[in-house]
Amino acid sequence: MIGFIIFAAFAAIVIVAFSALIQPRLADAVVLFMGVGLGSVMLFFVFQAPDVALTEAVIGAGISSLIFLMALKHLRVES
Amino acid sequence: MSIKRNLPTSLISGFALSAVFVLTLLKILLENIPQHIKRAGDELLTLNESEGVANAVTTVVVYFRGFDTLGEIAVLFIASLGIGLMLSANTHCEIKAKSNFMLSSGSKLLFPIITLYGLYVMIYGHLSPGGGFQGGVIIASAVLLLLISHQNFEVPHSVIVLLETFAGVSYVLIGLIGLFTLDVFLGNFLSHDITEMGMLVSGGVIPIIYIIVGIKVGSEMSSIVQNLLNRSENV
Repeated sequence: MIGFIIFAAFAAIVIVAFSALIQPRLADAVVLFMGVGLGSVMLFFVFQAPDVALTEAVIGAGISSLIFLMALKHLRVES
Repeated sequence: MSIKRNLPTSLISGFALSAVFVLTLLKILLENIPQHIKRAGDELLTLNESEGVANAVTTVVVYFRGFDTLGEIAVLFIASLGIGLMLSANTHCEIKAKSNFMLSSGSKLLFPIITLYGLYVMIYGHLSPGGGFQGGVIIASAVLLLLISHQNFEVPHSVIVLLETFAGVSYVLIGLIGLFTLDVFLGNFLSHDITEMGMLVSGGVIPIIYIIVGIKVGSEMSSIVQNLLNRSENV
């Protein structure tokens, strides 16, 4: 069961990261980047690092992607 | 201004990244990792019980590597300072878009709950997963919710200055008190008996330092978000 969760999280990270790379719109890429953070939260939790999982959930998926979105708006990128 | 993205480079780097991930996955799944492997932190974690703190990670972050944490806070302060300097050209802001009724009411309902959760994560950092960094960022996200939902809401600059100065000065002061009493910077000069492990008041100086870290991180992240949001609404 744990092996299946690890496999699913790894596969999700790979797929989401790859699709974030080939997105034509940068805002979509930022949203998919949040998905990478979500997959790594699952991995950290399975590997018994709840502190790191909480940090990744708050900083990696929350604040940093919001800062990315605000910087994108600040750059006025037409997409 | 538009950023033209180089698609073949993205594809090649994507394939390389995928290959690395798949190889790592195969290595983990195919090789049986021995259970009795000696990890890097084991020697450090055997010392954990001497401080009477239930969460071993907190002991490492705040006590064994407390000086590094002071450096990390300084790095965060410099980042906040840089963003403030870069975006200070046009400080007067007015948000044109008016948020609707549902957003403003819902944010008023959610703000105390998120703040309470952040304070819980911060204060119980030495007992459960979490701590000052995580709790501070959770409080900053609550401030962000109010910033994007209310037009006239703004954290006063004097409050941020007061909180940051208080937190930074008291961190260094606690370290210096430890230096003068126990000859170690950030020495644990309060009582930290092993029998109190798991109580709210335990671990001596460690929870106090983590609460101070939380105050500093929360105010710095709030100021970063506020600077970015004001500036980006203005353009």
